[in-house]
Amino acid sequence: MTAHAIDLTDVRFRWRDDKPPVIDIPALTIARGEKVLIRGPSGGGKTTLLNLLGGVAAPERGNIRVLDTDIVPLRTAQRDRFRADNIGFIFQMFNLVPYLSLIENVLLPCRFSVSRRRAAAETASTLEQAAARLLSQMALDVTGLDRRPVTELSTGQQQRVAAARALIGSPPLIIADEPTSALDADTRHAFIDLLFREVEQAGATLLFVSHDADLAQHFERSIALADINRGTPT
Amino acid sequence: MTPLLSLSCRSLLNRRGTVGLTVFAIAVSVMLVLGVERLRHDAKSSFANTISGTDLIVGARSGTIQLLLYSVFRIGNATNNIAWKSYRDIAAQPEIAWTVPLSLGDSHHGFRVMGTTADYFRHYRYGRKQPLRFAAGVAFEDVFDAILGADAAKALGYELGDAIVVSHGLGQTGFARHEDKPFKVVGILAKTGTPVDRTVHVSLAGIEAIHIDWRSGSRVPGMTTDADTVRQMDLQPKAITAFLVGTKSRFAAFRLQRTINEYPREPLLAVLPGVALQELWDLMGTAEAALSAISMFVVAAGLLGMMTMLLSGLNERRREIAILRSVGARPAHVFGMLVLEAAFISLGGALVGLVMLYAGLLVAQPLIDVQYGLFLSIGLPTARDLTLLGVIFFAGVLVGAVPGYRAYRHSLADGMIVRT
Repeated sequence: MTAHAIDLTDVRFRWRDDKPPVIDIPALTIARGEKVLIRGPSGGGKTTLLNLLGGVAAPERGNIRVLDTDIVPLRTAQRDRFRADNIGFIFQMFNLVPYLSLIENVLLPCRFSVSRRRAAAETASTLEQAAARLLSQMALDVTGLDRRPVTELSTGQQQRVAAARALIGSPPLIIADEPTSALDADTRHAFIDLLFREVEQAGATLLFVSHDADLAQHFERSIALADINRGTPT
Repeated sequence: MTPLLSLSCRSLLNRRGTVGLTVFAIAVSVMLVLGVERLRHDAKSSFANTISGTDLIVGARSGTIQLLLYSVFRIGNATNNIAWKSYRDIAAQPEIAWTVPLSLGDSHHGFRVMGTTADYFRHYRYGRKQPLRFAAGVAFEDVFDAILGADAAKALGYELGDAIVVSHGLGQTGFARHEDKPFKVVGILAKTGTPVDRTVHVSLAGIEAIHIDWRSGSRVPGMTTDADTVRQMDLQPKAITAFLVGTKSRFAAFRLQRTINEYPREPLLAVLPGVALQELWDLMGTAEAALSAISMFVVAAGLLGMMTMLLSGLNERRREIAILRSVGARPAHVFGMLVLEAAFISLGGALVGLVMLYAGLLVAQPLIDVQYGLFLSIGLPTARDLTLLGVIFFAGVLVGAVPGYRAYRHSLADGMIVRT
């Protein structure tokens, strides 16, 4: 086991053959346990990079090692399983499935990943309790909120539910895609503090993507996507 | 599939309004298909049960179906009569257990008048060999006694003791009426659900009596024999329209049929009622098949409605699907989820349709029985019903593959992030 959570070598991706590549990254490594911010404007290839890391998109060439697994040669189903087991995602907004309850939303990854279901079950006597504990650690009052539809939660609350979902079953890698851009300044900092605390406690790696350079103050390492990516932004 | 079962359920519940309507649409179509099936089956068996226990129907030579129509269904006319002598001659055959002569041609307010003998009420059977029962009164004794079928009595409001005047011929208007010799209602039959209900039965002698002053279809001027005089006369008819035959053994019927069909003195036709009924039913097969086809098309429309609903919902569900992808759902899961939703909707439609069918049968059964004399059975679903339900369910699942595939393509293109 190397110390790398993410290791990209010479990765190139383009949407269509007649278009220039959007992603052309000669090298990017992120160590295990690191909390890294990748900065870049919208349309700069951030989303594409995340789809590549999640194994939802496949590069034209290059190596993508995530947690020491070379995910490029994997079959699609294997990549999907790898993602389910190892990566927790948080997105910009509308992270929740509207027809599921608070707890059910948090437990969604456990439906698709046996290892995360097992890991979550070890932290409490039931899966529901594991979810409830994570939610309360994210400063959410489960008993008060669980009866209401999740769509009635505030954006800040929704993002904390999404964070709890990313953390359930302790995946080694958390990828956050602009999770704070819909939040106001106060909630934003509070959210990042909570997220950091939980990520550290889980010993996970955090890859945080944002256009907001202000957030760099929170991170030990901050990378501008433009510096590592030679691809042409769309 | 297990992670998807509850997801599909919850997703459907979340859209219970549109989903409910779609289930209802499929349920209506299911009810229609099963209802038509049942109607077909029961109409056929009721039709086949119009006459039973009679081994042969004999009339002047014409077509099988024509003979059946006028002798049993009281539709149309005989082309010719059977001479009384021929009838007696055949009735004397040793294989014959009983015969019932029928004489048709007159009517009363649109209801056919049939001359016969008291044997008719003894030997005629319908349904599962059920005999005719009297709701009121008795079989005829006097020349001018009449016995009404249940519908005829009800429609015309007759009771025992009422006098009725028979019209000559089959027209509603009575410009040629036998008003000089009215009949008296002495009996009313219980409902049978067969053409017997719409028949006015009089004695063979009565038919002869009212025509005593008539020659070739019109009254002979100046001839007015009154009823009492007529009673004293010899009222043996010279001809009848048809007669029913019961044989001593089933096998005798076939032999007898050939004998009658080859009867040398006049051209006669003997038919086996079961065979003739089947032939007549086959004639209606096209209409029957059309009815089935239409109900199947309604099911297809219901399933297409479901496909439309699922397809049109996909766009607003792209984000939901992307979330599922990000938590580890594979595109195959997305496909499976949509197919499961279609399966649940089809299953719901089939079950609700079945319930609606039984509710409908409970309400409609007495009405249809009274109106059309057709008794619909309310039994457990037949094997054919279950097969139909199964076919509809699987068709629904197949139809679900279309939105399933579309969602699958979407989920491949969108990945975890929907760009909006």
